[in-house]
Amino acid sequence: MIAPGAASVRTPNIAIEFESVGLTFGARTDTPTVALKDVHCRIEPGKVTALIGPSGCGKSTLLQIARGFLDPSRGSLRFVEIASGQTTGRPAMATVWQAFNLFPWLTVIENVAFGLELAGLPRGEREARARVAIGAVDLAGFENRFPRQLSGGMRQRVGIARALVMQPEVLLLDEPFGALDAQTRLVLQEQLSRLVETSGTTAILVTHSIEEAILLADKIVVMTARPGRIAAEIDVKLPRPRTFATTHEPEYGALFDRIYGMLRDEVMQAMIIESDGGKE
Amino acid sequence: MTPLAGKDEDIGPPRWVWYDDTRVLGWGSVALVILVWEVAARISGVSPLYLPRPTQIIVALIEMFRNGGLILDLGWTLYRIFAGFAFAVVVGALLGVWIATSFRVRAIADMFIAMLYPLPKVTLIPLLVIWLGTGGPFMLTISFLGAIFPIVINTVLGVRQCDPGLVLAARDLGATQQQIVRKVLLPSAIPSIFAGIRLGLGVSIILVVAAEMVVGKLGLGARLYLSGQILETEQVFAVLIVLATLGIVVTKTQDWIDKKLGRWRLA
Repeated sequence: MIAPGAASVRTPNIAIEFESVGLTFGARTDTPTVALKDVHCRIEPGKVTALIGPSGCGKSTLLQIARGFLDPSRGSLRFVEIASGQTTGRPAMATVWQAFNLFPWLTVIENVAFGLELAGLPRGEREARARVAIGAVDLAGFENRFPRQLSGGMRQRVGIARALVMQPEVLLLDEPFGALDAQTRLVLQEQLSRLVETSGTTAILVTHSIEEAILLADKIVVMTARPGRIAAEIDVKLPRPRTFATTHEPEYGALFDRIYGMLRDEVMQAMIIESDGGKE
Repeated sequence: MTPLAGKDEDIGPPRWVWYDDTRVLGWGSVALVILVWEVAARISGVSPLYLPRPTQIIVALIEMFRNGGLILDLGWTLYRIFAGFAFAVVVGALLGVWIATSFRVRAIADMFIAMLYPLPKVTLIPLLVIWLGTGGPFMLTISFLGAIFPIVINTVLGVRQCDPGLVLAARDLGATQQQIVRKVLLPSAIPSIFAGIRLGLGVSIILVVAAEMVVGKLGLGARLYLSGQILETEQVFAVLIVLATLGIVVTKTQDWIDKKLGRWRLA
């Protein structure tokens, strides 16, 4: 079980606005790749926004722009404080990665406490906080194991704990369950769903999975094949907590069909683009 | 156990037999060779100037340790090897990280490494003697030169093979450029750096002993050369035994350190 309130204590109050964001890779070469084109999108604070689209549509790129690891070649990114309407600096963010990206030479607790150590927190405090986060992802008792001694699902729970322990205002989930088998995925989706609900954090979820998007998100942003643009924004009004049983609701089915209908064409389009070598 | 072992023996702890024990096989065959050597030398009556018997060598070895100052020679050789080598470890690892993380430094260093690395370092002995004489600085330099290249090259390799995902994860958690180097790149390169250290120490040993043979008055290499000059064949063998033992100790110590570094080995 997920301990409520273990994750984030901040009240999220910063919205992220993408304004006509475009990104072109290799602009000065003969074969520029337009990854993103004219993306308008608003990430509401305290909500989970899912970015879904065919592979190569630039959804992970959009996440990297939000994180500040990539700069858009066009348009801008704004962080807006809800109460005042003022533009502010980048809020605290932490990422959960598809490939886990755990440090293999560090134990579970050292991995989880890594960010706190970088920030210069004293050992006692960072270990106490890391223990709480490890407990929140059901890994108590595994503190001194190394990542290679854990299953894929457990590794990703370490990855989630490592992000949550930083108490981010915005949680970035980059295909967090993409490397896991179907059963593990179901369980972790439910866990993460509860974790995000109880913590009330803002989250951006990049995923290939329609099911994952519906189970976790408040809003689903469907993206087109490259160059990535936004095809539709869909609000998910299914009641929470959502579990695997939610997938049997008629509303779930309708939503799934609607998104699949949109994605199908885009995936076909993406396959054509990829077979052309990705050129415009 | 052999695959053909009887069905009953498949269950329960395997039965110990001497010809399945790696230690018995290893040490036993060494002992056998020595025994054959001893017996053959006695029977054939070959001159000890040409091939002394193992027992004569052992006597010479003990004598050299007690009165001949062999322990002093060993001390000098070890000091020369490890002083230059220790310096090479520190400089090599730092230089390696620098080369790996800066493309400018890499471009510059690439040329020098390409020129100097394939050069047999013994060929530098005449030049180094002209510049440094035959004393301490010369010996430290030759040991340093032997070890530094494998250490630098392996460190560069290790750092550059670091999973970019780990660097990204560290940045995401707020790491500065310096923290990324110290807490991600360096630890992830540890196995590779140790592989370089292993190779480097081997080259250092070779070079120091070779240099001692050419210019030294003290040290195992010098002792080896002088003993050969005056046809003290037992003493030549005795020095070789000391060098071989040194090799075993160094290798086993490194094996042990490698085991201790298990946490750095990936998945």
